[in-house]
Amino acid sequence: MTAPDAAQDGGLYATRQKIYPREIGGRFQRLRVIAVFVLLGIYYVLPWIPWGGRQAVLFDLPARKFHIFALTLWPQDFYFLTWLLVIAALSLFFFTALAGRLFCGYACPQTVWTETFLWMERLAEGSRSQQMKLARAPWTAEKFLRKAAKQLMWITFALWTGFTFVGYFTPITELAGKIASFSTGPWETFWVLFYGGATYVNAGFMREQVCKYMCPYARFQSAMFDRDTLIITYDERRGEPRGARKKGTDHKAKGLGDCVDCTMCVQVCPTGIDIREGLQYECIACAACIDACDEVMDKVGYPRGLIRYDTQSGLEGKRKRVLRPRTMVYATLLAVLVAGFAVTLSGRSVVGIDVIRDRNALYRERPDGRIENVYNVKILNKDRNAHEFRITASGLPGVEVDYTGPTVWVAPGAVQSVPVRVRVPRGSVQGGTDLVLSIAATDRPDLTASGKARFIAPTD
Amino acid sequence: MPLLGDEYTGTVRWPRLRQDVAIVTWPSFLVASVATMICFAFIDPVLVGNDDYPPPAFATRMSGYAIGFFFFWLISALSSLLTLYLARTAHPEPPETDKPDDWTRSAP
Repeated sequence: MTAPDAAQDGGLYATRQKIYPREIGGRFQRLRVIAVFVLLGIYYVLPWIPWGGRQAVLFDLPARKFHIFALTLWPQDFYFLTWLLVIAALSLFFFTALAGRLFCGYACPQTVWTETFLWMERLAEGSRSQQMKLARAPWTAEKFLRKAAKQLMWITFALWTGFTFVGYFTPITELAGKIASFSTGPWETFWVLFYGGATYVNAGFMREQVCKYMCPYARFQSAMFDRDTLIITYDERRGEPRGARKKGTDHKAKGLGDCVDCTMCVQVCPTGIDIREGLQYECIACAACIDACDEVMDKVGYPRGLIRYDTQSGLEGKRKRVLRPRTMVYATLLAVLVAGFAVTLSGRSVVGIDVIRDRNALYRERPDGRIENVYNVKILNKDRNAHEFRITASGLPGVEVDYTGPTVWVAPGAVQSVPVRVRVPRGSVQGGTDLVLSIAATDRPDLTASGKARFIAPTD
Repeated sequence: MPLLGDEYTGTVRWPRLRQDVAIVTWPSFLVASVATMICFAFIDPVLVGNDDYPPPAFATRMSGYAIGFFFFWLISALSSLLTLYLARTAHPEPPETDKPDDWTRSAP
């Protein structure tokens, strides 16, 4: 690091001052509160929902199975997860092109948890001015009690968050019992503390600084923007020149715009920017400035919407376009991916086979003169019902299979290993040849799967 | 704006060291999460090990996943750290000049 570099960037020793965003009501803040309740409600409640004797949503890592309501995904179904992530990313692009940083303002976990931590802070320390006064005040019993109350709420909530997180990976009722009796395993304890700690630090202290310094989406979202993207914006043509004025004066006669320069929009901003300076990447689109400005406009008797959701074209008085190449391309891609996902998922095979050659011997010559190879066949039953499977071999002349019993029973959601002996008459196969082993459920002939293996015979 | 203190005017920023720690640990955390997911979708940790000398490398799947995750995090954090170091120690870009971009045309 060079010295001029450091000076340019504000230096190594720039102290971080805490932002105390002023609390604000209004229609968009109500929407955000609803979003917080819905999203956190889903997060905290989902692992407690039972489904046919098990947890409805359980990413059972120890058993390597993901349960999502009626659906059970196996490691073999990994590509569904990848597909889902691609769909999620594309939806983000689509909504960004359409309506800007909706995700940041209403749905990002960072914003949502920060919001709840702010509520708890206000509950313990009061309004913004009270908080600032408390921070400057000497340590008294009251200050200690208020700070302790805040920490107690934060830590409890963070630990509950960590516990819920782990509850997605190990059955949550068992986990609750283990925690009550202090008998959680080392990794369970670790992950509860890790995720709880991350919540505490992220939502309690780092807050919107995460958006400013750590979020990649904040930096590249502008690539999805165009002149018709909905953004939070200050109507400069209407607002400027800004300035204070006495109530009831004709500001237009004095050459003033509608902005009374009350700085409310700056005071409520959780990232500490001034929206009047134009669109900035720090803006997380929380719409607090809209609500604050609307309130002020109501008070001074000007029409609302000096700061509002609008598009660049809209601000310039041009026609607003929702349908445009960018949104249509994103929408089409998204529709194709979602449809493909649904079709593939519903048509996915629920049985699988894995054929592994026995390593101990290449082949065995039987007393009856036939050549025998031994395989370990693993039958995968991903269905919710048990099935009986019949194993057949093909690809070799005169081939015969021998395994325990006429059928193999496999429990629902289980893997069954079966040693299978495959025999051919001597001379019908020379050297190595491909062999196909197939399984079919006796009760449902459509449940089939087959696997390839090498059959090895002596060369005569 | 005399009414406002620094904390309201967007000058609030993290010290350099904290920025560095954040931009090394966080992207590597994201990458490690994805790497862990992909890796253990294909590999069962309890089956990892040397065939000739049991026991396997990991006693339980959970420890395998966790150790795998921290391994990926460490590796990707090292990469982030090197990238940051190279970016920060590079010579600064030469300052922009007032000369036109297409100097050949303005040449006499």
